[in-house]
Parts: sequence; structure tokens; C-alpha cells
Amino acid sequence: MKAIKILNRLTNISTLLIMVMLLLLASCADELDLEPLSAQTSEITFQNLDAYKQFLAKIYGGISLTGQDTSGNFDDIAGINGNFSNYLRLFFTTQELATDESIIAWNDQTIHNIHNHVWTSSDIFITAMYARVYFQIGLVNQFMRETEPGVLDSRGNVDEALREEIAGFRDEARFMRALSYWHGIDMFGDIPLVDENDPVGAFFPEQTSRVEMFNYLESELLDIESRLPNPRQNEYGRADKAFVWMLLAKLYLNAEVYTNTDRYVDALEYTERIINAGYTLVPEYSYLFLADNDSNGAEGEIIYPVLFDGIANGSFGGTTYLVHAAIGGNMNAADFGVNSGWAGLRTTSAFVAKFNDISGNTDSRAKFHTSGQTLEIENPFDFTQGYAVTKYRNVDVNGVIGSDVSGNNVDVNFPMFRLADAYLMYAEIFLRGGGGDASTALLYINLLRERAYGDASGNIAISDLTLDFILDERSRELYWECHRRTDLIRFGQFSDQGIWPWKGNIAAGRTTEKFRDLYPMPSAELNANPNLVPTPGY
Amino acid sequence: MKQKQKLILFLIAFISLSAYSQNIIRGVITEKSTGNPIPGVNVVIKGTSNGAVSDFDGNYTIEASIGETLVFSYIGFKNLEVVISESTLNIALEEDAATLDEVVIIGYGSASVKDLTGAIEKVTTEDFNPGAITSPEQLITGKTAGVNVIPPSGQPGQGGTISIRGGNSSLSANNSPLVVIDGVPIDQGTTGGNGVAALNSINPNDIESFVVLKDASSTAIYGSRASAGVILITTKSGNLSSPFKVQINTTGSIGMVQRTNDVLNAEQYRQVAVNSQNASLIVPLLGNIDTDWQDEIFQEALGTDSNITLTQGFGSTSYRVSLGYTTQEGLVKTSKFERSSASINLLQKLFDNSLSIDLNLRGALTQDDFANGGALGSASQFDPTQSVFSGSEEFGGYWEWLQPDGTPQPLSPRNPVALLQLLSNTAETERALGNIKFDYNAPFLEGLNANINLGFDYNEVNGVTNTPASSAAGFFSQGSVGDYGSIRRSTLIDAFLNYKKDIESLRSSIELTAGHTFQKFYRKNFNSNTPTVGTSVENSFETQNALESYVTRLRYSYDSRYLLTASYRSDGSSRFSEDNRWGNFFAGALAWNISEENFLKDSNTVSNLKLRLGYGQTGQQEIGVDFGYLPVYVNGADNQQYQLGNTFYNTVRPQGFDENIKWEESETYNIGLDYGFLNDRISGSIEYFTRETNDVLNLIPIPSGTNLTNQLTTNIGDLENSGFEFTITSDIIRKKDFNWNLSFNASYLTNKILKLNIVDDPSFIGVPTGFITGGIGNTVQIHRVGSPQRSFLLFKQVYDTDGRPLEGVYEDLNNDGVIDSGDLYVSENPAADYLFGLSSSASYKNWDLSFTMRASLGNYVYNNVASSTGNEFGLHSLGSNRNVHVSILETGFRNNQLLSDYYLEDASFLKMDNITLGYNFKDILKDDNIGLRLQLTMQNVFTITGYNGIDPEISGGIDNNFFPRPRNIVFGANMNF
Repeated sequence: MKAIKILNRLTNISTLLIMVMLLLLASCADELDLEPLSAQTSEITFQNLDAYKQFLAKIYGGISLTGQDTSGNFDDIAGINGNFSNYLRLFFTTQELATDESIIAWNDQTIHNIHNHVWTSSDIFITAMYARVYFQIGLVNQFMRETEPGVLDSRGNVDEALREEIAGFRDEARFMRALSYWHGIDMFGDIPLVDENDPVGAFFPEQTSRVEMFNYLESELLDIESRLPNPRQNEYGRADKAFVWMLLAKLYLNAEVYTNTDRYVDALEYTERIINAGYTLVPEYSYLFLADNDSNGAEGEIIYPVLFDGIANGSFGGTTYLVHAAIGGNMNAADFGVNSGWAGLRTTSAFVAKFNDISGNTDSRAKFHTSGQTLEIENPFDFTQGYAVTKYRNVDVNGVIGSDVSGNNVDVNFPMFRLADAYLMYAEIFLRGGGGDASTALLYINLLRERAYGDASGNIAISDLTLDFILDERSRELYWECHRRTDLIRFGQFSDQGIWPWKGNIAAGRTTEKFRDLYPMPSAELNANPNLVPTPGY
Repeated sequence: MKQKQKLILFLIAFISLSAYSQNIIRGVITEKSTGNPIPGVNVVIKGTSNGAVSDFDGNYTIEASIGETLVFSYIGFKNLEVVISESTLNIALEEDAATLDEVVIIGYGSASVKDLTGAIEKVTTEDFNPGAITSPEQLITGKTAGVNVIPPSGQPGQGGTISIRGGNSSLSANNSPLVVIDGVPIDQGTTGGNGVAALNSINPNDIESFVVLKDASSTAIYGSRASAGVILITTKSGNLSSPFKVQINTTGSIGMVQRTNDVLNAEQYRQVAVNSQNASLIVPLLGNIDTDWQDEIFQEALGTDSNITLTQGFGSTSYRVSLGYTTQEGLVKTSKFERSSASINLLQKLFDNSLSIDLNLRGALTQDDFANGGALGSASQFDPTQSVFSGSEEFGGYWEWLQPDGTPQPLSPRNPVALLQLLSNTAETERALGNIKFDYNAPFLEGLNANINLGFDYNEVNGVTNTPASSAAGFFSQGSVGDYGSIRRSTLIDAFLNYKKDIESLRSSIELTAGHTFQKFYRKNFNSNTPTVGTSVENSFETQNALESYVTRLRYSYDSRYLLTASYRSDGSSRFSEDNRWGNFFAGALAWNISEENFLKDSNTVSNLKLRLGYGQTGQQEIGVDFGYLPVYVNGADNQQYQLGNTFYNTVRPQGFDENIKWEESETYNIGLDYGFLNDRISGSIEYFTRETNDVLNLIPIPSGTNLTNQLTTNIGDLENSGFEFTITSDIIRKKDFNWNLSFNASYLTNKILKLNIVDDPSFIGVPTGFITGGIGNTVQIHRVGSPQRSFLLFKQVYDTDGRPLEGVYEDLNNDGVIDSGDLYVSENPAADYLFGLSSSASYKNWDLSFTMRASLGNYVYNNVASSTGNEFGLHSLGSNRNVHVSILETGFRNNQLLSDYYLEDASFLKMDNITLGYNFKDILKDDNIGLRLQLTMQNVFTITGYNGIDPEISGGIDNNFFPRPRNIVFGANMNF
């Protein structure tokens, strides 16, 4: 019956026509204003008050993580494999692979060009390093915009206590921005300055000179320094005054390279502040690079640990890379607390020669695996050519594997800054005429050597304390910690001086062009921004 | 409304019809022009489903009453209705004026072939490719000019890649055509879940026709989704007034491997190893067995496909119900595809046929068993001197590479047989789609028609992976299980008005169409992997988008000689900000039916000659992101946390965005000539088109520091495409017992990138693409200004006097004394310059024979299997021996030379896709109501090519452990009663 009724209604000739007319004219335009489902607008994001600290965690994590997940769809950096794009992994490539301390066997894109000193401005790794630096800067700029007092006011849900905490976050974020800008001028020279006062979107930043950038960084760091917590008083892993002092000290130490004006006196001031801040050397050198270096005593020496965790960090960058990639040949991965070696990173004979005894029995810093390996490298693609380095290991002091028992990801925190570096800097500044005194310089150096040798047998005399010695000692103490390229350039030994195997693309090594003291402004940047000029020489 | 309508439909469909007093009516049916009898003519009493079919001599008998009307119908002839006046009724049927009056769906409407103004091709059931076909697009492979269907790999259930006119209208956005099934556009995004094609859950057996809209004047009616062409699929339906019919098709197939990767056999491997630089590492590990690992993983693949179709038509109702069941094993052991499908079509006419309601519903349940994806690569790389089984219980009994401590070496190839037998990956796909269409001819105004189409599409994939702890692959995680899947959902509302008027005084006919359409899409992907120990991974992504459009079209014809079509579409997409949300797409076309002019009208030679000119604007909004214009934050996963103090924090990250992102826009010009000679015994067309695409979306580096990412998809590039197409079809022989039809098509396609970046810097090298294996992140192709898309970028290999490549020696093309990236040169590209298709079908008495051949010229393939493994260094790595490509015997390379053009090969080919021999048993059965046809088909009969890899037809041009296509032998039976 009902059906017949409807039929009758339909016989009304215009029912369908009217419907069509209505549908024709009715607009669904509102339906086009859709909300994303797997992401949120800023408004919704910061309704959650934890988001501020989660954003801060993103900024710190920018050094050790690769993206928002491991699917490859939410990597931070595009144009390169996600695992390759990790900040620390790229930083190792630019700072270590380009030097005598490290060489790699793999055949990934242009990776050999770095050690061989034949990189070009379109190099994928250099481009990604540049992008990583500015990704960090962009994150911090956005954090600053989202946490401006006026913006916090407008959200209406930030109470006084949280506001104060956020003010601290802002200073820490600015430290992290300064760290990346420092990496930027160290590697690339003149680079654009963008901060929270710039918009997000299409504009062409002007190139800033290295000198201007140096001055900007100095003022930034001096500004936040007073407000940051005292050394070792902030939460573990977060910036305090000592982070800033170390960065200032490094800027001043390298000021002659960056600005042609030396600042050794200032460098000494901040180096001394660090040395007197209560940090202590861990008794065993090897403890600095173990899975429990947050609790085995190394935490007392490491000023800025970049934190890694086998469970919480599932990407193959950072120390996960440094442990796996250094294992190959007949090495036993299980000894390193991981499930496999990736047979990539070794070292050159030039670095091995820095040690009189490579067995590690006298100088315990000599951490080489030589069985099944040759000292010299005839084929760079063969892992077994060149001694392997056993510095980073994902086991604790008792040999127990880290938190990821499947052996993929490691717990080893990376020592971005540590006390031993400050000791070496003191001695160098003294030798460069920045002040301080000889006996203190000698004392600091011998503290490191006593730790390395286990006794005073390796101590040096004041007559041994020369700049050449410092450069070598820095290498023995700090190898594979991403200082080497900067050190070599400060000592004038990176490009047109200094020879090590495969530098210049030949087995014996040769000097390369002076312009290689700077990495090139990536061609991708030059193509995107008409305000930039190519780095001279490239 | 929708629910109630359905109810009515079902009610009406089952109303029984009243009976009359019956007589036997008989007669002979002949061809009017020749007087020859016509067998197989449908004879139905009008308004009933009672009917009969004429026999071989044209005789029919049927029970009917005087005064009733008989309807005679046969393909190629005009229907005839005769009121019964006496018991003998001889009938002469008139030939339909060829195919020119054939009606073609053109998108929001239809038109007769002679009124078309655009480049449109139709492929119907009789032209479809035969054989073991699981995905519909394979039905038209090789059948049309300018449409390239690259057949799927041998992975069962996979779909092919369709590209229309090169499909190069975009770089990073979608280059696949828009597919519209019964008026419902299908989500153009990938389906998710192993990349199985969107079409493969449609039973090919349910498809009536494909209409390919090639030029922009015809596709512009689909506006922002039309740049890559449009394919309109019409599914089969029942016919009014037709008898109850059952049709059963069944095929059984067996597939065999045609060719495997050329890797060293055990003896060769030993020889090469002993003499290699790493002999001291390799030789101690050598086994003493001779295993062909590819043999171990391949099988003969069996398949079956069965369909049963029921159709019946009454006076104002008809239905078609079909059920299908397909199983298809893959060539790789443990891979299998299984699909059960059902479809229902109901047609109901109401109110003196003024309202017609057309309901289509189809559902499919697909079960995929995916062979482990790593097994193919492992089989090429596994040491041929080792045995399949180890003799011990460990790792499922399979031989594996171990580390010194006895644990499996994680980065070595795993035993491919173990990967297949121990690991599993299965997925279930549920697909339902359908639509209901109301079509109303307004009685108060002749020619006015109102149309509502409501459609939906739902696709859900749920997959499970399992890596048992007993396998070497699952050793460190102590086993792991994974879940993955996706949901795709879309709903559509179309409302259209159509007005058609013939103004005889002006010798004009005019048709106006106006409509409004709204379609909404929802997509979700998820996957998780949970190892027993170690880090769990869980990813999920959910998104939506909507598209609203206003469409108008005018078609005008003057004296059937001059034709004009103009259309305009305004599209609003949720993917763009309000400022860029609406895009306008205009098209216009003119056609001149030269053969209707007086000087040709009576020509016996020229039966059809039509010149067409078309212009159209189309867009592309499948840009890969749904909210690229909005600043948003994305949460971090649990395995991307950072520790502050003692707490681990999930992170939030601001996304990079381009608030100005908008459509890609193409402008296409097309000129075409249709011809037909000798009453269209010879017919075909010639086309030329040129298309320029602007605002092409490209992922480009942006000035660092200005956004929250280093690369952004933004409208930056310009592209150019052009091409010629030619088709010819001829009924070479047309006799009573012997018919032979031959069709040939050819196309020439070329494309070029005109602009790619913000700064027009001639030193800009381009955007690298074409990732290969062998190292991570290496690419061999580039999008470069001035070159075709995906051009290969390689070093020019230098050869010694014996023609052997010298390792690492390349030509210093820029003469700067060093070999570096400046010496990489752009050479060929993977797209073919010329494509040809040839189809032949012949019948002699009850026998028929048909085949399809295709050829491709100028398509290049980079042999990544050879380049990544064919060197001494590849013989051993990470404590395990690995097999390498036979090219090592020629090159003797020590390290891999991934960027050498030695590995780039001309992959031009000639293929015979299928050949079929059939026999029709109509003479033997001698019963007009029963039909039986048997056929034997061979698919992938032969390939003639100079390419050295498994198969020259590799989508994208990089050959890397391709899942080989099987050679199938298919036996089929087709019954109806």
C-alpha cells in the first residue's frame, strides 16, 4: 500500500524535476572546508598544554630523530633517504668522513666524494646537511612565533606557571638555533639569517656574511646565557649555562677562521667557566661511548649529551649508525650489543699513525679492530681494508646489551660537548696566546693522558706541548666525535695542506683546493633563491 | 527516497504477467539486402520474457497469440516489431547503417558516433582480449591508439598501468586516467594495501564497454581530474523484453615462467669466485651443491575463472545477475589471488517509459596470498653452491648465512625458499560499488530530461604478515606479526538536466546539458609491526577530500554537416585554499562531416569522412596531499620520541605548507580525421594533438629557512606533450562462411619539460628521479628542462678494443679533465616513441582464430639487476657469498658501476599478447536454445626484443627483480541456454 502511495506521488510529474532543480542549485561549498584528520591546526594543537614541551622535544630531537615516524612519509628532510637524513649522521659525514679519521665502504650516491674531496654543489649529503641546519632553525623560529606572549594571551589557557616554563623553553630553543647556525657558518660560511620575525612562506632571504652571523650568534648566546639554569641544574639533556659557554668558547676559538679576528681571550674566559663548573672526567675513557653513558659516570663529563634510546628512537641515524656501520669483516656484532654489522666505516692509516701503540694496551683510546683488516686501503669499497674502529658500543660497563634486545637501535648518547674537549681547548688557547698558564695547560692535558694510560706513563712534558701536539691529541681524544674537520681547518691542515689516504681521490692522498675549507652553497638553494651567490671556487 | 525506490523496483520486478491463449507462430528470418537466412535472431513477445532464437537456417517457432507483438532483434540489424496477424510470419531484417549510429557514452550524456566532435574510442566486448584476465584494463591492451596499458607483472591480481597519450601531463601528481564506472568516478589515489589496482575487484566479465576520452575537448567535462584522460566503463545490463538466459563461462589456465634473471650458475660462480679479489673470503664459504634458486621459487601457476550470468527482460523491467569466482596462482610459489564477485543490474521503466531507474550493485571479496617480496631478489642473489636445506632443525631446516656466533647474518640475503615457506602475508579486500540512476523524460516538454545519479564506492583491505621466530628473518625479533590495511570510501551525487531539440526549419539540432555534482572521498591507511622483542612500529594516516562541480555543455549540429560542442566546468576542490579553490575548465570542438556534403554524399567509395578540431582546458588536482595549503602540526610516533629529563615525549612538528597551491592546468589542441571507405569496410582515424601543461606541481627545494621543510610541492613547472595517432580497421573478408577483420593502430608520442624551477638557471641540473638498488638513494633518471621526463642520466662508458667496458672509465664530456657529475649526460628515456597494436580475428564456419600483437619502439630500460650485482665486489659481503649477474663475465668489473650507460638498453619489442582458437558447437547441438563454444588461448606467446633482462616492458624503465609475467595456456568454455 505504501509503495502505491509513493508511486502516486511520483506520478506528480514534477517531483523528480524539482529534486533535480534543487540539487542543481544547492551549493555544497561548505563541504569543501574540510579539516585534516591525521594532523591538526595550530589552534587545536596548543589546546593541549603539553604541546609546548612536545614541540621543545622536537627541537632537541631534531639532532637524533629522523621524522614523525619511520614510514618514510613524514621524514623531516626530503630528497634523501630518511635514515641518511639524520642530523648527527650527516654531521658525522661532513665533519669526519671528509678527514683522515674516517672512510666509508658503501656505494650510496655521492658518499665517496666526501672523503675524496671531490664533492660538488649538487652533492646530496651536503645539500641535506644544509637543509637539516635550516630545518632546525625553522622549527625554532616557529616555536618562537607560537610562544610569543601575545599569542599565549590570545589562547587564554596558559597560566602563569606554564608561561614561566615556556619562557625557559624559548631560551633553550634559541640555544638550539644558535648551535645549528654555528654549524652553518662553520661548514658553509655566508648563509642567510632568518628568525621568528620573518614570515613563513615564499620570500627570498638575503645572504648574511659570516662576520654578521658571528656577531648575531654572540649576541644571542650572551642574551640567553644569564637566564638559563646553572650548569647541570636543568633536566637531563636540556640546555643550561654550560651549553652556552661551550658554544661561545668554540665560536671564539674559531673566530679567526670565521671573522679574521682572533678572540682567544674571550675563548679562554668561557673555557675556564666550563672547567670550573663541576664536571669531572669519567675514570674509564671507554665508558663515554657505552649504552649506559647516562649513568656510568660519563654523565659527569658530558656537557651536552644528544640522547638516544633503543626503544624510543627507531631510526637508523646517530649512534645507531655509528655502532652498526663500524662493524664488519670478522668482527662479532654481539660484542657491540647489536645484531649486525653494516660494514661501512673504518679509518685510514694516517689516523692509526697518531698512536705509537695501536693495541690499546698503553693508550686505551686506541680502539681498533685489526684482525682480518689491512692497514692500507687499496679499494675503499672493501670494508676489510683499513682498520676498524671499536669506539661506540651498545653495551653497558658489564657488557649487557642496551634496551632494544633485538639489537637494532642503540642507547648510546652522543657527547656533543664534553669536559675533555674544554681541557684541550684551554691548552690550545694558551698556546695561541689567549692567556692562561702553562702549568694548568699541561695539567689538563696530562689529566687526559693519565686517564688514557691508566697511569702517568703517558704524561708529557711542557716542552712537548705544541700546537702540532694539540691537533694530534685532539684527534686521539676526540676522534669520531665530529670535531675533526673544524680542527683541521683551524690548523690549516684540511685542504691545501695535510695528506691522508684517498684524499684527492688517489690511494696515497694529495692536497686539495683551498676553497674546500667551505662546503658549497647547495645548488638547490641557488636555484631556489636568487639572492644567494655560489661559494667561491665551486 | 533511495530506500523506497529500491523497494518499488524489487516489487515490480517480480510481478507475474497474465497469460493468453497460445498459438504456434513460425517463419524464416532473412537479411533484407541479400535474402540470406540469419541464425541466432532473438524473437520475443513484446512485454514478456517469452522468446525464441532462429536456427541456422533462419527458422523460428514461438508460442504466441494473434494480436501480440513480436520483437525481432539481432546485432547489426535494426529491431523490428510486428503484430501477429497469422501463424506464419516471414521476416526480413534491415541492416543497421553500420556503426555510425552506435551510441557512445561521452560523460554526463551520450552521443551517436556520427555526432562526435572529439577523439573518442570505444572498445566493446567482442574486441576484448581473451585469456586469463583478472583485472579489467587488460581487456583493452593493444586495442586503441594512444592508450598504453602496460600489463601487470606476474604477481597475481595485480593491475596494469594505463596511460593515455603518454600520461605525461604531470611530474609528481597522478598520471593515471580518471576511471568512471557507470557514471561514478573512482578514487584516483592508489588503493593502498600492496598497490593493487583500483580496478582489480571488478569482474572483467561484467564489463560491456570501455570508452576512452583522449582529447581535452572531450575530457574537459571532467575538469580538474581529466588531464591524464578519462576512461568510461559501462557494465553489462539486461535488455527489456528478452527471454530468460543463462550464460556460463569457465576457463582454466596454466602459467609458466618465460625467462628468469641471468645470474651465474654454481659452476660459473665457483670459477669467478676463485679468480676474484676476495677469493680468500669467498672460497672457504663455498658449498658443494648446485642449486638454481630461481627454479626453487617458481612454479607452474594454475588458475580458474568461472562466471554464471542470468538475464531476463520483461516489458518494462529487466535484470542481470552475475556471479564470478576466480583463482589465480602466481609464478612464485605461495602467491595466490582469489576473488568472488557478484553483480546485480536492475532496470525499471515507469510511467510510459518516461522514468527509467537503473540500479547497479557489485561486490567482490578478494583474498590475496602475497609471496614474500624479498624472495625474488634473494633468489637472484643467493649463493648457488649452497643447498636449500641445512640438515639441522634450526631456522625451519633451511640453510642460512650465519654470523661467527651462529646467529643469522641480518644483512645477508635470506634463503628464498624459507622466505616463501615460513613467512606469510595475506590480505582480504572487500569492495562494493554501485549506483542508482533516475532518468526522467519530462512529458510536458519534449526533449527535456532530468537525471539523478547516486553512487558509492567502498574498498577495505585488511592484511596480516607473520614472520615466525623459527625463521632466520624472525630470529632477532623472536618473531613478529604485522597488520596493515586501508579503507577507501567515496560517495557521489549528480543532478543533471538535458534538453534536446531538433529545429527542422533551421536544419539544426541542439542539445544543452547542465548539472551539478558533488563527490566526497575518505581514505585511511594503517600498518603496524609488533616484534616479540624490540621496537614496535605503528603508523596510520587518515584523510579526506571533496570536489564540487558545475557542468554545462552545448552540442549543436547544422544539417548533420557542421557540428559544434562547447563545455564548461567549474570545479571546487577542498585541496586548495578558498582563494584558489575554484578552477574553470572550458572546451570547444568543431567537426565537419565532409561525407555528408553533396559531392560525397552518394559516393560509393567514401562512406565517412569527418574532420575534427578541438581545444580544451583540463586540470589535475591529484597532487598527493589533501591539506597542502594549511599550516598544521603532525604528531610523532612512539618510536620517534625524545627524552627530556626522565620522561620520553612524543613530539609535535609543524608541517611545511604552500598556501598558494593550486591546480595543474593543461591546454590541449587536437585535430582528427575519421574516415570510412566502401561502406565502412575500411575505417579508422588520424589524430594529432599537442598539450601544454602549466603550473605543474613539482617537489622542489625552497629557499631554506623560509618554510618548515626543505622541499615543497608547489606549482612551478611547464610541460609539453604531443603526438600522432593512426588507426585502421578493415573487414578484409566478409563472406557467409569466412570472415576476417584486421585492426591496426599506431601512435607517436613525445614529451618535454619546459620549466622546473623558480629561478630560470641554465646550470640547474634538474630533479633526480628513478631510484635504483645498489647503494641507497642512488638515482639514474632526471627531470631536466629541455628533455623528456625521466630521462636517463648516466656516464658514457668507454670500451676497449675488444668492446669490453673499461671499469670506471667514462668519457670526459665536459672536457674539464676530471670525471665527475658534470660528465653525466642525458640520453634516452623509458617512454616509447612509437607504439603499435595489431588485432586480427577470423572465422571460418564454426572455427575462429584471433590474436593481438603489440610493438614498442624507442623505450629504454636500465638493467638494475645487472648493475647492482654484476661485479666482483658483489660476490661477497658481510660474511656471506652472493650470486651476481652474468654481465660480470663480460665486464669483469670489480666494484659496481651503477652510473655506467653500459646498463642502459634499448628495450624495443614486439610481443604477441594472445592467440585464441575457438570452435562453436551450434551445428552439432542442433538446438537453438543452447549454445556452446570452446576456446584455447595462449597468452604472452612470444617477445622479440634486444633487451637482455627478463622482460622489456618495465613501467618506469628500471628493471629490478621484476615479478615475471607468465606464459599462460587457457582453456575456456562458454555455454548459454
